[in-house]
Amino acid sequence: MAHNGDALRRREKRRSILFTLPMALFAALLVALPLIYVLGTSLVESGQDFSLGATFTLENYRRILRADYLLVFLNSLQLAFFTTVISLLIGYPFAYCMARAGRKWRFILMMLVIIPFWTSALVRIYGWKILLQGNGLINTVLKRLGLIETSIKFLGSYGSVLLAMVYCMISFMILPCHSAVDKMDFTLVEAARDLGAPPWRAFLTVTLPLTTPGILAGCVLVFVPCVGIFYLSDIMGGGLMLIGNLIRDQLLKVRDWNFGSALSMVLVLLTAGIYAVYRKCGGKDLGVF
Amino acid sequence: MRKICVLLLTLAMLCTCALAETVNARDEAVLNIFTWEGYIDYETVIKPFEEETGIKVNYATFASNEEMYEKLAAAKGGDYDIILASDYMLNRVREDGLMQKFDPEIVDNYGNLNPDFTHQFFDPDNEYVVPYVSGIPLIVYDPSVVGIEIKSFNDLWDASLTDSLGLIDDARVTIGMVLLSMGQSMNTTDDAILAEAAEKLDALKPNIHVLEYENLHNYLVSGDVAVAYTFTPFVALALDANPDLQVVWPEEGLGFGIDGCFIPSAAPHAKNANRFLEFLLRPEIAAICAEWQYYCSPNAAAQDCLEDWYKENPVFNGIYDRIGDAEYVMNLSTEDEQKFQDIWTKFKLSL
Repeated sequence: MAHNGDALRRREKRRSILFTLPMALFAALLVALPLIYVLGTSLVESGQDFSLGATFTLENYRRILRADYLLVFLNSLQLAFFTTVISLLIGYPFAYCMARAGRKWRFILMMLVIIPFWTSALVRIYGWKILLQGNGLINTVLKRLGLIETSIKFLGSYGSVLLAMVYCMISFMILPCHSAVDKMDFTLVEAARDLGAPPWRAFLTVTLPLTTPGILAGCVLVFVPCVGIFYLSDIMGGGLMLIGNLIRDQLLKVRDWNFGSALSMVLVLLTAGIYAVYRKCGGKDLGVF
Repeated sequence: MRKICVLLLTLAMLCTCALAETVNARDEAVLNIFTWEGYIDYETVIKPFEEETGIKVNYATFASNEEMYEKLAAAKGGDYDIILASDYMLNRVREDGLMQKFDPEIVDNYGNLNPDFTHQFFDPDNEYVVPYVSGIPLIVYDPSVVGIEIKSFNDLWDASLTDSLGLIDDARVTIGMVLLSMGQSMNTTDDAILAEAAEKLDALKPNIHVLEYENLHNYLVSGDVAVAYTFTPFVALALDANPDLQVVWPEEGLGFGIDGCFIPSAAPHAKNANRFLEFLLRPEIAAICAEWQYYCSPNAAAQDCLEDWYKENPVFNGIYDRIGDAEYVMNLSTEDEQKFQDIWTKFKLSL
């Protein structure tokens, strides 16, 4: 009998390897290999390919330590930070209402979050541009109402970039927050209220701590991609200098692939670092929310 | 065992197919075009070519000249039969030996081209490249909101234009514009001159409202900016939307560019490619291409076939009088490109 069990276990093990192999191969080919190539390119002298004869150097990383390049990183982090805060301030109440709403309303609200995903973000951002432009709907309405006399130049401002960023990213805040509020046991809030806590107190001491994991997950999901995004700022005419702009210019305009790779590696490390801190603080796996 | 046999047989069959393909490739009625999305119209150019010659055209696209170069270099000059790209990149491809000469026997209408547009640096002896379209970034402004008459680049620094300029988000083009305004070459690499240009660019800051690489005409039409310095098709589009806009051919000089077609060194269907070049050079086809692209036509014979709306547009015909003042943005060494990029990074950070 013992012998039989061993054989079964061995077969089971073989089967599980067979099933994980495609995934591992996929990850190795499409994630690890390109990353290793970028890392390798960033570690050889400018103008050289990553190959056996190349000269190793850390010069590309040393070059990043310059006031203006660091400012570019700071610029991106700042934009990501503002986007995250605004997304949270709008997304959390929205998610809360959605989770507490009746079935019909919850469905409608959920659709409002999901349907925009069916269209390309690019198309939707161009839609915003048309709304915001000098002779666009928003300016026309404000003028008709007599609130302004000359058009407000929304486009090209930092605010318009923030709007586009929040608009594109907010669902990544709403969904984990919604799932956290939805899973919460509301009898705890009722207990707090029964014991005399006013609604704001019950929210601060019960609801908020219980939904913190959702908030944290949402913040990471919004912040991390925001650090790398630069096309939204470009489309809104923001003219900002973000990490993405810098990497693109180094790769395509200066054609310094080695320096561009070093910048990309720093960006990868930065986002990995944010994720590591998040996990260290007890954040849950972002695969499920 | 049987499985291995099947596998081996399949592999053998695949190899035979692949071999057969390379043998037949030269006679195949196929043409592989590689260029930007929407650069050659299907209905008016490619379809008539297919109908006339029976050659099936495949159209692959790239996003940038640089991407094209990487793919062409990786294919060792193969895979593609016709590539349409920009001047500076044409030069690089030719210098790296990835081009082949076109066949003057088949391309017997090269003489249709305006001689001002041939013998260019990317093809000094007219052996490799067939110029397709040409463009010049221009200033375009709305006289109803601008208080001054703009004639030159230097007018853009006028104090009355506060927060009303739209410029191209590109280091070489916009710093190049500043250099032209100083009477310098767009391709200067002199540190002192570049430092001066950076300072002059800084002084333009209060007037700039928006930086965007493409589609600046939208801002002009919607009233978000009063003046834009932008590429040929966008100037023409702005004029289409608002005919009262004023186009300026700046006094100090002009930026200039040509997009041209060439046959890669190891093109699998070179003969078909030559036939396509001959087709593109025909006056009626060249006219269609220029009108479709919203660029200037380098084809002199095409002038008779162009529609009136095109010929009357000051954007498209001004170049023939000013070509002597026009200058290419040339490819510089990595260090020199970096100088421009650093000025641009600092400038954008301080906006």
